Amino acid sequence: MPEESNGKNIFTLLEVTQSIQKMFALHYSGSFWIKAEMNKLGYYAQSGHCFPELVEKQDGKIIAKIEARIWKSDYLRINENFKRVVRDVLKDGIKILFLAKVDYKPEYGLTLMISDIDPDFTLGDFERERLETIKRLQEEGLFDRNRSLQFPMLPKRIAIISDMDSRGYQDFISIFEIAKKSWGYNFFYMLFTASLQGDKALASIPLQLDRILKVKHHFDIVAIIRGGGGELSFTCYNNYGLSKKIATYPLPVVTGIGHVTNLTVVDMVAYQSSITPTKLAEFFIQKFHNFSVPVNEAEEKIREKALRLISDLKIKFESEVKLFKSVTYNILLRNNNALREHTHSVIRQANFIFKNESGYLESFREKIKKDSLLFCSSEKQNLIQVGLSIKKDTLTHLRRLALTINRSISQLSNGYRMIVKARNIELTNVEKNINNMKPENVLKRGYSITLLNNKSVTVYSKLKPGDTIKTVLLNGNVISTVNSTSKPDDK
Amino acid sequence: MSQQINYSDAFDELQAIVTEIEEGEISVDELSQKVKRASQLIKICKLKLTTTEEDVNKILKELDSSSDE
Repeated sequence: MPEESNGKNIFTLLEVTQSIQKMFALHYSGSFWIKAEMNKLGYYAQSGHCFPELVEKQDGKIIAKIEARIWKSDYLRINENFKRVVRDVLKDGIKILFLAKVDYKPEYGLTLMISDIDPDFTLGDFERERLETIKRLQEEGLFDRNRSLQFPMLPKRIAIISDMDSRGYQDFISIFEIAKKSWGYNFFYMLFTASLQGDKALASIPLQLDRILKVKHHFDIVAIIRGGGGELSFTCYNNYGLSKKIATYPLPVVTGIGHVTNLTVVDMVAYQSSITPTKLAEFFIQKFHNFSVPVNEAEEKIREKALRLISDLKIKFESEVKLFKSVTYNILLRNNNALREHTHSVIRQANFIFKNESGYLESFREKIKKDSLLFCSSEKQNLIQVGLSIKKDTLTHLRRLALTINRSISQLSNGYRMIVKARNIELTNVEKNINNMKPENVLKRGYSITLLNNKSVTVYSKLKPGDTIKTVLLNGNVISTVNSTSKPDDK
Repeated sequence: MSQQINYSDAFDELQAIVTEIEEGEISVDELSQKVKRASQLIKICKLKLTTTEEDVNKILKELDSSSDE
């Protein structure tokens, strides 16, 4: 009962809260199914109880809010069921449909006592988010972006986003070690450590993607690796931001994050997704095989074909040689035989001809001998005749010549006598003339000779006045001195 | 070793030679040249499978230098 004081009714806190408790007990006696967003799970590890904060939002603003409670025993049961259905744990920020009773206790206040959570509701909500992300990326034309990149023929330089301690990462790289031992495949990989669970993944994966971007020319591909068993919480891989980041990443992104029923959006937009890291590593090995096997086959095929080609040619060549040999042998044989036959025939015919010709020659020789003898004797007779005839002719000719010579001699002596007679007459005449020319005869005719110093002078100019000259006359000489000389014309 | 040719081109060229040889389009005159080329290409391809040129330290250095900017 309230106490009265200064005209006021004053209640104790307990009286009021007990009254409220009565009122709630009256109006909220049963349990209700309520849907809300679990802003915080509020799990206390020590006690094992949860103190979730439940809200309802409209346009991002909180329009309703209430504290709730899940006792440890309920939480264990609810969480197991939730994990089984949703493949995720109860966590902050998920939408839940829960069965609760309104509980009011004077000492704690108002709270919702959660006794059950329907995991299908959350699953549906996750699925809705997944579908929304897919739809949005498709509408933006980004959904297939990563998968339309050129995938390297040999994805050998791998940037791995994972947790170093996770079993998935260890599984992944152990396959590479095996590949190196078995086939000599040499992968280059580098770990970019990130958290891969829940909301932390939403921050750390994009962070590492941005780091890889700075050195992207060193890598062919990015692999996001998670796993190791018992891992849940795929909802972050349906997140629009993360999915978009991967879809639009300039390098091909492959995932091995594990999934059970529906692929996460990250798996869908990634170039390639495998259910486990081991499977993903095998995908890489397969790519290497796809490259290596044809190379080895090519080596084998080329070797085989080249050898075949050469051996075919060799066989062909050998058979040609054999054919050539046999053909030429036959031709040689044939020609040899023909030659032999020709030889025989030539010898035979030659012998025959020789025999024939030798008979003919023999008779010819006899004939020549006989004829030449005959000819010689007849020629001898002829020569004798000729000799006789020459002798006779010569004699006749000589006789005729002797006659001619005798006649000529008599003619010559006659001519000579006549010439001598003529010459004698001429000589007598000349003698007469010469006598006339004798000086006594000349002097007789009145001519004289003038001498100077006993030499006859014929030219007046040789005489000078005073010279003593001698003039010879017929019967004596006259000695005189020269008075003067002159040319007949000067007078 | 000539690294002028990129390994996927080497791979394609190698396949082309295999096809040529398989279809018997190669004469014995070309054969030795083709086989020589093929063995070069095989060498390039195998080298690509078994070696790596990347260096973690270099990449780390690049990461550090670009984060300083």
